[in-house]
Amino acid sequence: MYGGGYIFDEPNGKQLREEQLHDDPEKLAAFEDRIARGEKIEPGDWMPAEYRRQLIRLIEQHAHSEIIGALPEGTWITRAPGFKRKLALIAKVQDEIGHGQLLYNAAETLGKSREAMINDLLSGKSKYSNVFNYPAKTWADVTVIGFLIDAAAIVNQVANAKGSYGPYCRALERICYEESFHLKQGHDAFIELATGTPEQKAMLQDALNRWWQPIMHFFGPPDKTSQHSEKLMQWKVKMASNDEMRNQFLDSYVPKIWELGLTLPDPLLRKNTATGRWEYSDPDWNEFFRVINGGGPCNAERLQVRKWAEEEGRWVRKALMNPAERRSLPVA
Amino acid sequence: MSNESLDPRVNRLKLGDPSAVIKVEEGENWNVYEVFHQEKRGAHHEHVGCVHAPDPQLALVFAKEQFARRKKCVNLWVVRSADILAFDVEDEDMFANNLEKNYRDASGFKVMEKINKFKQSK
Amino acid sequence: MSSNAALTDLIIKMADDELVQGHRNSEWTGLGPVMEEDIAFSSMAQDKIGHAWALYRILHENLGGEDPDRFAFMRPEKAFKCSHLVEMPNSGYDFSLMRHFLFDHAETVRYESMRESSFEPFQQLSKKFRGELKYHTLHADAFLIQLCNAGEEGYARMQTALYETIALAAGIFEPSAAYEETLIADKVYPGEKELYSRWLDQIYPVLVKAALNLPDMNTITPVYGGRQGFHTSYLVPLLKEMGEVFNLDTEASW
Repeated sequence: MYGGGYIFDEPNGKQLREEQLHDDPEKLAAFEDRIARGEKIEPGDWMPAEYRRQLIRLIEQHAHSEIIGALPEGTWITRAPGFKRKLALIAKVQDEIGHGQLLYNAAETLGKSREAMINDLLSGKSKYSNVFNYPAKTWADVTVIGFLIDAAAIVNQVANAKGSYGPYCRALERICYEESFHLKQGHDAFIELATGTPEQKAMLQDALNRWWQPIMHFFGPPDKTSQHSEKLMQWKVKMASNDEMRNQFLDSYVPKIWELGLTLPDPLLRKNTATGRWEYSDPDWNEFFRVINGGGPCNAERLQVRKWAEEEGRWVRKALMNPAERRSLPVA
Repeated sequence: MSNESLDPRVNRLKLGDPSAVIKVEEGENWNVYEVFHQEKRGAHHEHVGCVHAPDPQLALVFAKEQFARRKKCVNLWVVRSADILAFDVEDEDMFANNLEKNYRDASGFKVMEKINKFKQSK
Repeated sequence: MSSNAALTDLIIKMADDELVQGHRNSEWTGLGPVMEEDIAFSSMAQDKIGHAWALYRILHENLGGEDPDRFAFMRPEKAFKCSHLVEMPNSGYDFSLMRHFLFDHAETVRYESMRESSFEPFQQLSKKFRGELKYHTLHADAFLIQLCNAGEEGYARMQTALYETIALAAGIFEPSAAYEETLIADKVYPGEKELYSRWLDQIYPVLVKAALNLPDMNTITPVYGGRQGFHTSYLVPLLKEMGEVFNLDTEASW
């Protein structure tokens, strides 16, 4: 699962201009024509350096979000109530790791090794979705994550699956299929609490209240402030604007929350029937940037746990390394 | 730190210094193997993705759970990515005229037209 | 046919082992040494928990036992009959891999021995779990042999892990004082002593390929007690954690 709100590199930085100077105009035109025709770009194709760079960044952030995203829900693996929930939660967290695997492979086809990506995650150089820097305090949090964060991720991933880069689209196709299981099991567990005892319902309402702002942050800053270049849209790297995706999410899921008699902690939240758009209070965007820059409640723990896992597994990986092997990147 | 997590699993770990620099060495995640999936007997094996593994045997072991833990599967192949030989993408033009060579295709032969013409001429 | 008490006793031992082993292995989900292995190990943890669930369902449906969720998530420590091997915390991946190797071979010989069991639900489970267990032992054997042949560190770690776990693993085969003979006579299964010897026959060739030293089994004392409800100090916290949410309200639906 993963949201929008990924941080593309400044599109008007110095680096970009220099790189673009080196792009052969003829090749660039052919590349852009291909995308305009709706064809996919494959790993061996010529591509602008900036396209490669932004895609690596995007897919890598997505991959990191999957393996970090396994941690908040993993919090409840040993405590899931009953066989069905226990098995579904383990299977779900397993899928997140599986998605990470698919996405790192897709990013590797662009020339950055899995190891380099992991190192950039561990050093804090590379980001992941902010939403995973919040704690899963109760069982109800798992149901909110499983239902709503996965729902939000689906909105984003379905959009990205129509992008221009073949390996990323193929990975997303499989991921979206599995996300439908995540959403369904999350919704099921969510409904169970919403329709359960007063204590269960209160637990769910409390979780919903805490998660609402991170969910509103999930698609990234409002369009009026975020700089997503037209180029990235034209190249089909970015497929939909943050506000568009947020609106689509609200439209599909707010009614599903309200129909269960639950409330959302935003008195302004409503659908404007004249425009068909949702209106809401602006979430605290300073908080969003504070968390991205490491100031969230769980940033430190998440990275510390990933570092532990890499350290703990190192002897297994090193023991089986074969330096004589001909190594290569994934083909497709 | 290690006793403050909400995850009891994490509280059992001996977490290291959060500021420690941990680096994974190039090649530590092993080599890449392409995975081919056969959905049912009689079907072709189809490419579904790849796994990182130290050797073909473990590649197969890993591929089974990463690519065949859901849905139907009867067999898998794995092959080192480095052993795949493919055309360059620029060579796509070699295939460009395929569709024009209709003498290789049943649709290129208008038998009924000829028969009807013959019948009408009688 | 054996008495329900004898069958119930055997099923609880098998199921509790599967549940606790699966639970321990699931603690690695998301934290494994490499993503591919994380996925594989997590699948096997799910399989174990699934086996436990299937066994508790047999208790519930065929032998008048309680609802599986209530039985698994609410029982006190004393009523658990798992072996000490599965209760031990995951000290490291070496320990977990070795326990997985020893446990899964034990499980394999057990279900294999039940193919012709006089208790029909065992026959069905034996068929049903066969493919899964084949994968589990394939995985365990491949890892063990490769790690041991790869160099000094892998070899030393796995040898240490074997020394740490072998007496605990032998404890899986603690015979029942009350029911062993009836279960054998009634052809429910061949009994713990026989399974123990089949298990040794099965793990030995793999250990040879890995060049590991199996201690003289006559000199080790199998760690018994779990089957009688005597447990390590690790079980109580594990059960408390496992039932934490369920026990917030055992009448509620989760």
